[in-house]
Amino acid sequence: MMAQTDIGKTAPRKPAIISARTMRITAILFALLGVFHVLNTLSLADKLSATASDAVYVFGILLQPLCAAIAVWVASKLGWRESVGRQWLLIAAGMTAFAIGDVVWAVLELGMGLDPYPSIADFFYPMEYFLFLTAMILAIRSYSGLVKTRKPVLLGGAVAVAGVAVVYLALLKPFIFPAGADELSGLGKLVSTFYPLGDIVFMLAPAVALALVIRQLGAARFAWPWWIIVVGALVFALTDSYYAYADWSGSGLTAAMDLGWIATHMLFATAALVARDVYRSVGRT
Amino acid sequence: MTGLRESVISALTPYVGEIVADTCVRATALSLGKTADDLDINDLAALEANARRLLGPVAPREAIDGLIAEIERSLT
Repeated sequence: MMAQTDIGKTAPRKPAIISARTMRITAILFALLGVFHVLNTLSLADKLSATASDAVYVFGILLQPLCAAIAVWVASKLGWRESVGRQWLLIAAGMTAFAIGDVVWAVLELGMGLDPYPSIADFFYPMEYFLFLTAMILAIRSYSGLVKTRKPVLLGGAVAVAGVAVVYLALLKPFIFPAGADELSGLGKLVSTFYPLGDIVFMLAPAVALALVIRQLGAARFAWPWWIIVVGALVFALTDSYYAYADWSGSGLTAAMDLGWIATHMLFATAALVARDVYRSVGRT
Repeated sequence: MTGLRESVISALTPYVGEIVADTCVRATALSLGKTADDLDINDLAALEANARRLLGPVAPREAIDGLIAEIERSLT
């Protein structure tokens, strides 16, 4: 509804900061996530045929490259020459690496009938950790002349230390380190140790540090996309580390867990779109 | 009449927040050996240069150009 002035004239509508296109794409992404969840729940409950279950599996996998493509598209428009462009390109590259890992995993498991863990897919998945951490370091450094960054980084480091301790006590010590060779190969043990630690050190801790930095911007628009990145990184860290715990402790894997990785990258894609919108909004309101 | 400091802060705050906006003003004042309240229209060029330098890493060049234009608009 348009605002009315007290003399009855219609005031000009302020241009929306978040574009209709961003809203549409985000709505479509999360609708697809909802559809996947319903189908995946049916699949895990053995209520679908084998072919239909495979189709659901492929559908879930394909959502990752879709999210990566959106982020690459937005980030490439910002360009590598812009400091902020490099931050978004690194995030997009990380999403792409994860998507490639997922596709490789699906090809090995579904196409070739092989056990994909550990496999060449585990070369691509961890690339997102390093690329994401680099992006977060650049993002935090970009605010270093403007707000306090030292304390947030130290608190992020403290979260990393505490998180590693929790992972060690809850997962590594009771389950992964004692696993015999029949249960886990040497490479498998290395990968199984690296992922939960990576979730804490490369995703959770930098997300906490970034949150504490952008918190100082208040409700400012340039902080909006970073808040979405923070939420996405938290979802990723929680999903991935809880998945490892649930798998090893035998507490049960659920369809909801499969949502976490996809939701993370949908949030990252949304963040890139929001970033584009807030940068474009300068001078329009 | 609103001073340069207030105009700049009100132009930048919706985008980068009050702390960052205030930092841009203070950094300019410091570089000119003035206080933030002593800045006047003659210091606009220095302020724009500082805003570009400080905000350059957090937004694309076009957005920074837009912010500078907003600052200039807020003074007219």
